[in-house]
Amino acid sequence: MQVIETFGKYIDQWSETNPERARRLLKTGWEAQNLKYKYLPDKRLLPADRYLAKLMMDTMLAPLKHPDQSVIVSVFTPCEMIQEVGFHAYNVEAFSCYLSASKAEGALLQQAENTGISDTLCSYHKTFIGAAEKGLLPEPRCIVYTNLTCDANLLTFRELAEMYGVPSFAIDVPMQQNEENVKYVADQLRDLAAFLEKCSGKKIEESALTERLTRSRRTLRKFQKAQRMGADHYLPSDLVTPLYSGMTNNILLGSEQQERYVNMLLRDVKQAPPKKGKKIYWMHAIPFWSDAVRGALSLKEEVQIVGCELSRTCDVDFDPEKPYEAMAKRMVYHVLNGSGTRRIKAGIRHARETGADGVVWFNHWGCKHTLGAAQIAKKMFEEQGIPLLILDGDGCDRSHGGEGQTSTRLGAFLEMLHAENET
Amino acid sequence: MNKTYYICKYTPVELLTALGAECTNLNGMPDGFDLADQTVHPNICGFGKALLEAVMKGEVKELVLVNCCDTIRSVYDVLEYSGKLDFLYMMDMLHSDGTCSRECTVVQLKALAQAYGEYKGTSFDEKAFHRAFVAPEKAHGPHISVMGARMGDELFEMVQEDMPYPVENDTCVNNRSVGEAQPPEEADYDVLLAWYAQELLGQIPCMRMMDPTGRKQLYNDPDIKGVIYHTVKFCDFYSFEYAQLKQNLTVPLLKIESDYTIQSSGQLSTRLEAFAESMESDLTQQNGKQRREKKMGKGYFAGIDSGSTSTDVVILDREKQMVTGIILPTGAGAAIGAERALEEALKEAHLEREDIDAMVTTGYGRTAISDGDKSITEITCHARGAHFLDPDVRTVIDIGGQDSKVIRMDASGAVENFVMNDKCAAGTGRFLEMMARTMEMSLDEMSKTGLHYKEDITISSMCTVFAESEVVSLIAQNKATDDIVHGLNKAVATKTVALAKRVGGVERYMMTGGVSKNQGLVKTLEEKLGTTLVISDKAQLCGALGAALYAMDMVEVRRG
Repeated sequence: MQVIETFGKYIDQWSETNPERARRLLKTGWEAQNLKYKYLPDKRLLPADRYLAKLMMDTMLAPLKHPDQSVIVSVFTPCEMIQEVGFHAYNVEAFSCYLSASKAEGALLQQAENTGISDTLCSYHKTFIGAAEKGLLPEPRCIVYTNLTCDANLLTFRELAEMYGVPSFAIDVPMQQNEENVKYVADQLRDLAAFLEKCSGKKIEESALTERLTRSRRTLRKFQKAQRMGADHYLPSDLVTPLYSGMTNNILLGSEQQERYVNMLLRDVKQAPPKKGKKIYWMHAIPFWSDAVRGALSLKEEVQIVGCELSRTCDVDFDPEKPYEAMAKRMVYHVLNGSGTRRIKAGIRHARETGADGVVWFNHWGCKHTLGAAQIAKKMFEEQGIPLLILDGDGCDRSHGGEGQTSTRLGAFLEMLHAENET
Repeated sequence: MNKTYYICKYTPVELLTALGAECTNLNGMPDGFDLADQTVHPNICGFGKALLEAVMKGEVKELVLVNCCDTIRSVYDVLEYSGKLDFLYMMDMLHSDGTCSRECTVVQLKALAQAYGEYKGTSFDEKAFHRAFVAPEKAHGPHISVMGARMGDELFEMVQEDMPYPVENDTCVNNRSVGEAQPPEEADYDVLLAWYAQELLGQIPCMRMMDPTGRKQLYNDPDIKGVIYHTVKFCDFYSFEYAQLKQNLTVPLLKIESDYTIQSSGQLSTRLEAFAESMESDLTQQNGKQRREKKMGKGYFAGIDSGSTSTDVVILDREKQMVTGIILPTGAGAAIGAERALEEALKEAHLEREDIDAMVTTGYGRTAISDGDKSITEITCHARGAHFLDPDVRTVIDIGGQDSKVIRMDASGAVENFVMNDKCAAGTGRFLEMMARTMEMSLDEMSKTGLHYKEDITISSMCTVFAESEVVSLIAQNKATDDIVHGLNKAVATKTVALAKRVGGVERYMMTGGVSKNQGLVKTLEEKLGTTLVISDKAQLCGALGAALYAMDMVEVRRG
C-alpha cells in the first residue's frame, strides 16, 4: 500500500475543498496499487495471497467505478443475493481500512466527530461516515445491513441511508440460536430479495441462488481444510492477508473469484515447506497500520499470523436447497452472534485447527463486544492451554495507538512463547 | 425479600410482578469502578460498569436484563461467568415491532415467566398482573426535558436543583409508558401475553430499535422550554440523535456527558449552571425586570475568576473603566488564592474591601470563595467580558488550564450555545504545559517556537499520555523542535476547531485565556478556522471582567 500513502495527504487536503477531485485521486491511487499487485506482486507471499490482494483491490475499486451498481453493506451481510443481481458489495469496514491505509482517516474521523457523533464510536464506522459526509465516497444504489455482532451498525447505516437519500434494508438477527430465529431471519431475507429485485430490476432465481450457496458451502469447507492443513506448514503472512480473507470470506462468499482463491490456497498449502517458528491466531481486526505490530509479526520466519476470526464466522452446515434458510442459519449460528463465551469457544476451536501457539485478542477501541469479553477470553483460552495476549489498540485510527506499549506487550508475549519452547 | 432489578423499559416488569417479584430500576451512580475494572475493560459504557459495580458489591441478587446493546450483552457474559447472582436472565428483545417480532416476544415472555416462576416457586397471578399496570406520571406545564442516554439518579437530582423550571426525565428507561392502557379483562394467558408484547414494543422506541422515528414525539412537546441532552461515555447510540437534534431543535439545548460516576461533577455543574443562567436571563428579559439587590456605595465593582492555573481579579469603577486587573497563580486552594489576589488588586487600586459595592466570583473555584456576593459560571462571564471588549465578537474560544470551551453569543453578549471539552486533558492548557515540560522548555519559549517550522509533523495521539510518548520518540528521531511544537499546536488547534464546529461558531472569533498569548497556537488556529482571531490585551482577564460587569448589574444605580 506504499503507493497509496503518497496520495493520503492530498486526499486529506482536497476532501476539504474539492471532494470530486479527491475521489478521482483516490481511485487513481488505488488503480496504481492494483497494477503493482498485477505486475510486481510481493514475491514473499503465497501465490494465492498475491491473487487475494488483487481480488480485494478489485472489490474496492468496483464501487468507485460503478457506484450506481453498488450496495453499501456491513461485513456480515450475506452477499449472495447482491452478487446474483449483479451488484457490487461496497463494504464500510473495508473502505475505512483502505482509507486508513491511504493515511486519509484523520480528517474523516474529525469530520464525523464535528457533527456531534461520539468520539468513542468504532473508527471503521466513523471513518466511513466522515468520508460520506465530505462527499469523498460516492452515493450507492442502496444500503443493506444487519445488527449481527455489532449494534453500531443500526446507527451508522441508518445515518448513511439518510445522508445519501437511498433505500435501505436492515436484517434483524436475534442472539439466540434456535429454529424460530432462523425462520424469523429467513423471512426477512425473502423480503430482502424482493428489495434487491426492485432496486436492480433483475429477478433472483431460487435455483441460481442455490447454486451460489452450494459454492459458498464448498468454499467455506475448502478454506477450513486449508486452515487445518496449514497447521503443519510454514505459510508466510503479512498483516493484511488474514484481514483480506476476513473480508472476502464474507462479502465475496458465493463468488467464483473467492472459490478460485481458496482453491489456490489449498494448492499452495500442500506445497508449502514444513512448519517453522510460532503461529499466532488473531481475534478481531488486525491494526495493519501499526509499525510496532508489523515489526513483530509481518513476514517473519520465527512467527506468523495463521488466521483471523473474521474469516471463520460460519461453523454450521447449511442446506443450499433452501437458500433463504441457509443464509439465515449462517447468520443466526454465526460464531460472533450471541454470548461472548460462544465466540470464545469458536476461537479456541479455530486456533487449535490452525495449530496456533498463541492468540492475540485485539481490543479494538469502540468494539464493546470485544472489550467486554476480553477478560473471560483470557481465562477460557488459557484454561485450554492456549496463551492469550490482550492487546489494546485500534484497527483503523492511528490516534488511538500507543506504539511503544503495543511493541512492548507484543514483544514480551512472543518472547514468552519462544521461551516456552526452550524450556 | 430480594428486589428484582431491571434496567430497560422493554423489561416485562408487570409480568415479573405477577410472578411475585418486587421490581426496581437499577440506576445509581457509584463513586468509582474499582470492582468493575477488575472484571471488564475500562472502555465500555459507564452504565455497564455501574451495573457490574453494584453486583460485585453484593447489592443485587436478582437481575433481569434485555440485550439492549453490546455493552449490556458483555455485562451479562461477565455476570454469568462470575456466578454472583441468584437469578440472572437476559431477554433477547428484537429490534423491530412488526408482527413477527411480537410473536417472538411472546415466546420470550413465556420463557422468562417459566424461568422466574421456577426460581421463585411461584406461578402467574392474573389479578396481580392487572394491578401492576399503573399509568406513569408525566410533567404538565413548562418544563425542561432530559433526553438521550439514561441519566443516573444522582446526576438527575443535580439537574433538578440547578434548573429554573421543573425537569422531566425522558431518557431511556424513564420514558417507559407501559401502564397507560389496561390489559383486557378475562383473557387467557396467550391472549394477555400477545397484548402485552404489543404494549412493550409499542413504546417510544429507544435508539437501539431499527425504526426510531417515533422518538419525535419526545421533542414535539410544546411545553418543553429547554432540552438537556445526556450521553454516557463509551455509549454511542445517542450521539447520533444529538447530532440531528442540534440542527433542528428550536428550544435551548445543552449536551452533557457523564461516565456514570459521582466524581468529576465539577465540570458538569459549570455547564448546568451556565445553561440555567442563559435560561434565567431569558426569563428575566421576559419579565422585564433586572435583579438589583444592592445600593450604590463608592462605585467600585470586583470580579474574581478563580481558574485552575491562575486567579484573576478586575475592579471596575462606575464608568466601567478598569481600575485594576491582577493575574496571580491560584496555588493550592481557590479560596486562599482568591483572597490573596483580591488583596493585591485592592492594594494596587488604593482601595479598601469596603469600597467594593458588589463582587461576583466565577471560574472553577467560584463556589469555594465565600467573600463574593454571587457566583456565576465562567461561560456566562467570558461571553459578557468578550462582548464588552469587542461587541462584534460572536464566538469566544477559551483554552483554559483544565478545560477548553467555545461559546457562541448573540449581539447583546448573551450566551446562545456553548461546548466544553470532555474530561480528557487533550486540547487544554494543561496538555501544552505537559508537552512543554517533556520538551524541557518554558511555556513562553514554546509559544514562539512553533512559528518557523519546516516539516509538517502530525501528532496523531490525542491522549495526553500517548502524545507525550510520541513527542519523546520524535525527539529521539532528532526532529526539529520547531516542527514538533508546530505538530502539538496543530493537535490542540484541531481539537479546538472541532469544538467550534460543534457549537456552530460564527465570526468574529475572540480568543481569551492565558493560552491566547501562545503565538504559534494562535497562528495555527487561525489557519484551521480560516479567519483571524480577536485577541485583546485584556484577553486573560476576560472572565473576571465579565464577573465585574455582573457585579455592577447587582447594584441599584442612583443617578443625580
